[in-house]
Amino acid sequence: MDIYIIGQQWVNGLVLGSTYGLIAVGYTMVYGIIGMINFAHGDIYMISAYLTAIFLALFAAMGLHSVPVVLLGVLALTLLFTALYGWSVERVAYRPLRRSTRLAPLISAIGISLILQNYVRISQGARNQGVPPLLEGSFRFPAEALDHRFIQITYLQSLIVITALLSMALLTWIIQRTALGRACRATQQDRVMATLLGVNTDRIISLVFVMGAAMAAVAGFLVTLNYGSFDFYVGFLMGIKAFTAAVLGGIGSLPGAMLGGVVLGLAESFFAGFVNSDYKDVFAFSILILFLIFRPSGFLGVPEVEKV
Amino acid sequence: MKGRWSTAAWVGLVALLLFTPITGLVLAGYSVELHGQRPLWLACMAVLGYGLFSLPWKRWLSELQRSTRSEEVDAPPRVAGSRRYGIALAVLVALALPFLLGKYGISIATLALIYILLALGLNIVVGLAGLLDLGFVAFYAVGAYGYALGQHYFHLSFWLALPLAALLAACFGMLLGFPVLRLHGDYLAIVTLGFGEIIRLILNNWVSVTGGPNGLSAPFPTFLGLEFNRRAKQGGVPLHEFLGIDYASEHRAIFLYLLLLLVVLAMVYVVVRLKRMPIGRTWEALRENEIACRSLGINHVTVKLSAFALGAMVGGLGGVFFAASQGFVNPTSFTFFESAHILAIVVLGGMGSTTGVVVAALLLTVLPELLRDFADYRVLLVGIAMVWMMILRPRGLRQRRRPLFSLPLPKGEGP
Amino acid sequence: MSKFSQLVRVVIVGLLVLCVGHPGMGMRLSHAAEPIKIGMAGPFSGSDASFGEQLWRGAEQAAADINKAGGLLQQGGKGGRPIQLIKADDACEPKQAAAVASRLVDMEKVVAVVGHFCSSSTMPASTIYADAGVLMMTPGSTNPAITERQLSTVFRMCGRDDQQGVVGADFVLNRLKARRIAVLHDKTTYGQGLADAMRARLRSAGHTEVLYEGLTRGEKDFNALVTKLKGVQSDAVYFGGYHSEAGPLVRQMREQGMTAPLISGDGIFSEVLVTSAGGPGFVKGVYMTFGADPRKMPAGQALVELFRKNGYEPEGYTLYSYATVQAIAAAIQATQSLEGEKLAQWLRGHAVETVMGSKSWDGKGDLQVSDYVMYQWDDKGKYREVE
Repeated sequence: MDIYIIGQQWVNGLVLGSTYGLIAVGYTMVYGIIGMINFAHGDIYMISAYLTAIFLALFAAMGLHSVPVVLLGVLALTLLFTALYGWSVERVAYRPLRRSTRLAPLISAIGISLILQNYVRISQGARNQGVPPLLEGSFRFPAEALDHRFIQITYLQSLIVITALLSMALLTWIIQRTALGRACRATQQDRVMATLLGVNTDRIISLVFVMGAAMAAVAGFLVTLNYGSFDFYVGFLMGIKAFTAAVLGGIGSLPGAMLGGVVLGLAESFFAGFVNSDYKDVFAFSILILFLIFRPSGFLGVPEVEKV
Repeated sequence: MKGRWSTAAWVGLVALLLFTPITGLVLAGYSVELHGQRPLWLACMAVLGYGLFSLPWKRWLSELQRSTRSEEVDAPPRVAGSRRYGIALAVLVALALPFLLGKYGISIATLALIYILLALGLNIVVGLAGLLDLGFVAFYAVGAYGYALGQHYFHLSFWLALPLAALLAACFGMLLGFPVLRLHGDYLAIVTLGFGEIIRLILNNWVSVTGGPNGLSAPFPTFLGLEFNRRAKQGGVPLHEFLGIDYASEHRAIFLYLLLLLVVLAMVYVVVRLKRMPIGRTWEALRENEIACRSLGINHVTVKLSAFALGAMVGGLGGVFFAASQGFVNPTSFTFFESAHILAIVVLGGMGSTTGVVVAALLLTVLPELLRDFADYRVLLVGIAMVWMMILRPRGLRQRRRPLFSLPLPKGEGP
Repeated sequence: MSKFSQLVRVVIVGLLVLCVGHPGMGMRLSHAAEPIKIGMAGPFSGSDASFGEQLWRGAEQAAADINKAGGLLQQGGKGGRPIQLIKADDACEPKQAAAVASRLVDMEKVVAVVGHFCSSSTMPASTIYADAGVLMMTPGSTNPAITERQLSTVFRMCGRDDQQGVVGADFVLNRLKARRIAVLHDKTTYGQGLADAMRARLRSAGHTEVLYEGLTRGEKDFNALVTKLKGVQSDAVYFGGYHSEAGPLVRQMREQGMTAPLISGDGIFSEVLVTSAGGPGFVKGVYMTFGADPRKMPAGQALVELFRKNGYEPEGYTLYSYATVQAIAAAIQATQSLEGEKLAQWLRGHAVETVMGSKSWDGKGDLQVSDYVMYQWDDKGKYREVE
């Protein structure tokens, strides 16, 4: 087997896995804090893809063409608006269900997912959308290669990996080191006790949704730039994959989400690349099942200790 | 009152912000078109909606509940008189229905019955045994494909396939049950989700056996060896000739509907009885507290496996009927969304309540069909209805009244 | 009276109004010009809704044009009945397709149906139409099995995958002179049918494909597959599927430095391909098979102009559904009948002048002449026929 092909599959898997990881963060944080699978998260990601394209087009229409300005401006706006979507969804559909059974928010989330998909379909049309290539070019190793004997990573792909790592580090820092993060962890550990100690848990939960949505926005922004194509349905598959990654890494754990994403991405890439892409997803789900049987709390999850 | 107004203003403002980019700026190729009015209208609607939603719906509903409250679950096995009449009336209506409705009505009613069957099955797993299963569609698919494949390769008749496919589904239920015995809550959920997807993907990819995306045909059941077709296949006698009546395509739809109704009634009976039997009590006990059960000497392995197997079997039955009523199976009918739909029925029905599940299944099957006149907005409205119903009745249409007292939730559980 | 019982009353009255207003449930007073109902079934929601939009635009325009010209079944120049289109959404899901089919037949009492779109929906729906004796003509289902069952009222306005695959395979072998051919598909009834037809033709010409694999619809990352394509050194890639996957696929091929041409079928015949691939630079040189461009036919020029004037590019299946409505209308007009069997019989024996030229059908309901030709995209994001 060609070393270049193997190397290229590493790159492919790493890039794919980083995007899974970014979206998985939303699942893992929400699950950690209120024990709920937020099925609408994939659609939040979809919204952010649309927002990215809309703001890109808006910037172009205003005559802004400097790449760094456009990139940062669009990222900031997308982040802001996606976070607003995340916040509103929590406020409208999940907060009224805070004190009910644990499955009620799950159904509500499925409803929200339907609403978001069809809201975007009706207002933006069902057709496939895209963005023009903004940042072209790639690093190649070795630099002057003939034929196909090289490994390459495009600028955008490297941006995806770096941004994923950076935002994960930032988020971990927030959770571990700041007062806000301490309040988050307190709420996660014991909501009633945290409330008694003066933490506004409703606000903290809102904030978790906002942070999850922001990470989905980063993913939506980068993925949209990289693949340049999306429609109102992209959230579904991405959501399931990211959720799988979150569980694989140990749900509730931030670094676990990233690790789970990368492992899933690599597994998919290698299986598709060297075995068969038809059964790629079968393989991904099979390793998930097998892994959970032998290590039921994922890579980095803390095993649940049940006290009686 | 003043607080209301300022909240309404906030709702309007946030809605305007939310709707502006997505509805106000519409992508056209790599540029955008401005539709300035749409976000304004939508924001107005959001404010209006806020006004509507903040009406005391819950109080009205609880009044309704008070006026129609009836005993459930904990009532003794002999049901109260009024309830018995209610059930008899419902059965009579269900029996008369196909003769009143047209073919379309029958096909929707059949679909509703299939969903009742599926929801009854999932209710055993999720509602009674408390095992969150997001891949229930796998058993449904096993049943449907069991019939289609059995017919295709072994020429199994519908009547033989019905028990065999149900058994096959039960085996798959056990198969899934074994590895997930150790898993809790949401890990279980993702494993079952994965299992459902694996089944669907294999059905789609294994073209040489399952026909892949093209699917397989599934013939209509016969009645005592008589066919429902206009012209029977090689040497058979079609039913309408045998009975000396004119051929009408409605007949077989009615036949299937009545057959299915019979199976559903039998299943409702079985499930209601099971709930009162030791096994049903054990399921519910295990759902409430696994550790306590195990320390009381209950074998959680057999209990969980029996829940999975029974639930899967009922799901498999639903699959066989689905295949027979569609005349065709194909993997696109068995996506994750289908699992979510069945789960929604169970949760809306009130987790464990049989009546609730039946009503919810009817609601979630008939409602989308009624909304067909709204064409483009249909699925959107279904979504809104789902969220709204959950907010109004987070514990489902029929609230479970057992256990009689409940301890505060242990930490990390419950939202 | 409590507020609550008031509410209950309002709900009940509302439901009654809804029932009466519901077509088919309430009585409808009929007048002389009772409309002729034609169903338009297709995916108007779900992941294939973009095709539904094309179908609807075409059918809507056709009905409007026919109605403006006086409707159908006119006798002595008056008393024409207008066409009323009934939109029926199947979301490309067999179960919903069967449900809307029986709804169209049973509640709406349609005379004929335009649709469905996805082959997997058309299969179960067509048995229902055939059973009820309703004429069905699909503008876009190309899977051979649909007409192979020889249902008497089932027709199509498009070619078949086996014809399309043959054109594609011959082009790849004879014109591109490719020898290491990879065949990909999207695991749908349509995509895989196309890929299978392609592969069968390659094999009968004595060539074996270097790769035959499926990708998942809805995904955007095909980098692993592209790297694999590089690994097997394929010099032509055939893809059976839709533009939503073909766009990212070709973009990732070019980004990874692959220059092998991509060849596909009518599923990518849409200018959305350019958008979804990330610009004309990426789709340049992509080949695809499609019927001779309906937009170029002299019969359709005026119509195409009309669409464009209304701000809509009549691409893909728009004109197909327009022509389908025309064919159904022609049959109704010629036979002065609304019976499916009679209409079907007439269509088998007569040619119809449509916006896509003259069309006629064989005994199975397939078009007599399939006119698949090869197109190529240029660097401006437009396509033209390969000479």
